[in-house]
Amino acid sequence: MYIDQEKCIQCEACIPYCPMRAIAYNKDKDAVEIDFEECVECGVCKYADVCPADALTQQEMEYPRILRSQFSNPLVSHPGTGVPGRGTEEMKTNEVTGRFKRGMVGVAVEMGRPGTGTRLFDVEKVAMALAKEGVHFEPHNPVTQLMEDVNTGKMKNEVLNEKTLSAIVEFDIPQSKLAEVFYSLKKVIPEIDTVFSLDLACRLNEDGSNPVVKIAEEAGFKVSVNGKMNVGLGRPLAKEA
Amino acid sequence: MTHTLHRSGSYESLTNDYVIFAIAAQTVNAKGIAPQFKAFADIVLKYNPVNFGDMKTGNVYGVGIDDIKAGYKDNSIVHAVFNDQETLTKALQEVKDAHLDLSIVLSGIVEHSHQCCSKTDITPHTVEHSLGIHGRLDYLPDERVLEISTMCGHGMVAFSLIEDFAEKVAKGRLTPEKAGEKLAKQCHCGVFNTKRAEKLIADIAEGLKKS
Repeated sequence: MYIDQEKCIQCEACIPYCPMRAIAYNKDKDAVEIDFEECVECGVCKYADVCPADALTQQEMEYPRILRSQFSNPLVSHPGTGVPGRGTEEMKTNEVTGRFKRGMVGVAVEMGRPGTGTRLFDVEKVAMALAKEGVHFEPHNPVTQLMEDVNTGKMKNEVLNEKTLSAIVEFDIPQSKLAEVFYSLKKVIPEIDTVFSLDLACRLNEDGSNPVVKIAEEAGFKVSVNGKMNVGLGRPLAKEA
Repeated sequence: MTHTLHRSGSYESLTNDYVIFAIAAQTVNAKGIAPQFKAFADIVLKYNPVNFGDMKTGNVYGVGIDDIKAGYKDNSIVHAVFNDQETLTKALQEVKDAHLDLSIVLSGIVEHSHQCCSKTDITPHTVEHSLGIHGRLDYLPDERVLEISTMCGHGMVAFSLIEDFAEKVAKGRLTPEKAGEKLAKQCHCGVFNTKRAEKLIADIAEGLKKS
């Protein structure tokens, strides 16, 4: 995104809308500008429709810049997933897809969330740390699709400096290995220059209890009171293993 | 992984914030399922949600209800937000009875979702928990700003916009109600709870007035 200086009237109405605080008045140039390096191409400023002069302009984007938009604008369906948003269907359709079976757990490291953004080189650091634990990266996840090698978590060099509003490292792991994964994740935290939100998904036991909450708590992670529940109404049901 | 999971806040604050949404599995049952999203929407809209939207088109505060109703696709994700468990339970019962074949997800306090399922004779299938925020926590804003912002999991509601609106509310240039609606417009999917935001932003503004 850029601001057409021929149109801009410097009302500054767009400035607070940017999740990356990338829009600012440049005193030296006497212009309101978007920091092109910090812009994640989320489209929030333009979508807000607050510019009275229609000065916010979306430029044509080529690879790898276009990744910013694909990872940051939820109205853009990612070409690799067909799903709007940054993730996958994950547990939302689990009763139909059978993705998370009993004994397995789904983990997602939502890099840059909330509201902070992430460079893909930080995403790579996390992915590479987790790959050493033998995690199975979700093949339909947009981050996995940027990996050069899914066994190491190494991402393509040309994408590493791209910045996105968020990017999700998503994988499955047997419950028995979850504690080790948490340990590796904690070790990599000091190396990254952003935040991440952490998710844990699993099938419930037949008595309705959750088999993995205790593992998370023992690893020192506080389990939030809120969460997401797939109530199992989708059809056809996936076959049980 | 998710756009509704990491809503920040105390148990009390989250007690007034529930999302129900419908989605189809793109590789299994999505083909031709768009009319079922309409059926889902017709049901939840009867219960007057505080917000409603489809990830493929937008929300009621942005594109408006008519555009949403005209735009259901096989890969839609249709959301409604409620402020109380009782209404959510009634809507869930009706959704269940309609046999839509769509996957239905509740987002909110997990204990309450279990109660909704129990009252509607549903056995929940899969649960996802948030394990919190980690890393550079010094980059995060005031907790109440975070509570508002995280109601849009895609990060479309900027910290700076909430701070700007809170200042305007404190100066009497914007009402908390209008601020909630303007913030909701930013969250494409329609999962932002306007009423909860209204209370939180009024609270921040009060603090600004005193400082």
